[in-house]
Amino acid sequence: MGLLTIIRKIKRKEKEMRILMVGLDNSGKTTIVLKINGEDTSIISPTLGFNIKTIKYQKYSLNIWDVGGQKTIRSYWRNYFEQTDGLVWVVDSSDLRRMNDCRMELGNLLKEERLSGASLLILANKQDIQGALKPTEIAKVLNLDALDRTRHWNIVGCSAYNGDGLFEGFDWLVQDIASRIYVID
Amino acid sequence: MEGDELQKPNGLPVETLDMIAQKKHAAMLERLSNNHQSRLQQSAARRTAADFSSPSFESVQSFLSLFSDAKRSVEADLHRCRAIAAADPKAKSQIKLELDKVSESISDLEKIVSEHSYFLPPYEVRSSLKTIEELKEMVESANAEIAPRKKFTFKSKASSKKEPAALAKESEQFITVSNAASQNISLSDSPGFRNKQGEILIKRFRVSESEGDFSIVDLDSCDVYLKGRFRALFIHRLRNCRIFTGPVLGSILIEDVNNCLFMLASHQIRIHQARECDFYLRVRSRPIIEDCSGLRFAPYRLLYEGIDKDLSDSGLEEETRNWANVDDFRWLRAVQSPNWCLIPEEEFVAVRNISELEEKSGDT
Repeated sequence: MGLLTIIRKIKRKEKEMRILMVGLDNSGKTTIVLKINGEDTSIISPTLGFNIKTIKYQKYSLNIWDVGGQKTIRSYWRNYFEQTDGLVWVVDSSDLRRMNDCRMELGNLLKEERLSGASLLILANKQDIQGALKPTEIAKVLNLDALDRTRHWNIVGCSAYNGDGLFEGFDWLVQDIASRIYVID
Repeated sequence: MEGDELQKPNGLPVETLDMIAQKKHAAMLERLSNNHQSRLQQSAARRTAADFSSPSFESVQSFLSLFSDAKRSVEADLHRCRAIAAADPKAKSQIKLELDKVSESISDLEKIVSEHSYFLPPYEVRSSLKTIEELKEMVESANAEIAPRKKFTFKSKASSKKEPAALAKESEQFITVSNAASQNISLSDSPGFRNKQGEILIKRFRVSESEGDFSIVDLDSCDVYLKGRFRALFIHRLRNCRIFTGPVLGSILIEDVNNCLFMLASHQIRIHQARECDFYLRVRSRPIIEDCSGLRFAPYRLLYEGIDKDLSDSGLEEETRNWANVDDFRWLRAVQSPNWCLIPEEEFVAVRNISELEEKSGDT
């Protein structure tokens, strides 16, 4: 029995997944997490530090780490990289001016070796705002086609405001992680 | 009460939030009270520092001494590496090994912090993480100096036929090309006021526009009036301007503004790189500032016909007093940040009634 088999068995028992949510400030990370968890999203202050939520999702238990996106605290993102199964990169689809910043920060993040195995879900948030870029446009701006071929990734348009697309995105992420980590039952 | 809130701009606004938080999750409440509890404990511990040995106080102390010991040994190791490098520049592989060891002890240090983080005061966690960050940077710079990392080592093996220099050149070219390609994607501008000087700009949002965003960019010495409600506001590079807006259902992002007056209502407000500005705000959550100085805050004082309905349609009818609860991301300490203050009531600008102002055609 190899080590991988043992790890798989342990993880399967717990059915736990560790998800890291990052993205520029003002992209809606905390709102997304609270919306998925069915909580009130009407009063959310910009995140100073991080929030952790454990959410039962299908038969899995997701440990979601929602880390603040302000410039000052982006350098702390790397403290959360260890053992990340899924990476959620949140984009404010209406913030055209900072799309370049967004592309660069994502590029830096994906260079990180500790995240090399993580499935990447890009949420093109704020689709409910008129004039927001469509997911296909964002995929182009972020140059997603140039991503490493071994990377499992997907981009999904969503709205944390009304909830559209969130489950579609997380369904993909959870399935993708499950098929990598857990032996398919 | 006011002074109390000012004393701890980083803590949750226990007094104000408690009322609203009733509808919130039990778990949330529990966390809040835990936070509060630990804060109380801390301050109690601080007050009776010498003779009172509460367990939490003791363990914070022991963590701090553990941490500083470990930090000193890492620093000493780094020093040694540099000394070796200075004495014998050829001992690269040895130094590399040493540096790897240092990195390992830094990650041990990180582990110590995370293991202890559950009882540590937030400030200690942040400051120790910052120290770790600095140590890592020192290692990185030492690494870069002493043994610069080769790039693309992985790939160069596969195509070893080519001259390494040519290969590097090629990959460089590839990078510039791909960068240029993605930068050239032109994004059509969202609605907004841009590149004006010394003008009065007025916009009335129609119902059909209330789901859109708006940008105010590169203005000098302008007055801007936005009537009606909309979804998101982006403000960038303003000098000597006065900005008055109706409610924003969503967030406002402000970057690089000098000597301006803002009167804004929104769910979230983020202010970056602002100097010498006054803000008159209605905001549901805590406004944040980052890399700012000379900011002053006061309540929203805008009027126009129908603003009450616009405010309530945007969920902003309630005066939360959060305009006074500013978080400074560059000042994570319990004492008041030097970068912002409240405007004394006698200095408030007069309530601004803009009912008479009408949009000129061709403004946007």
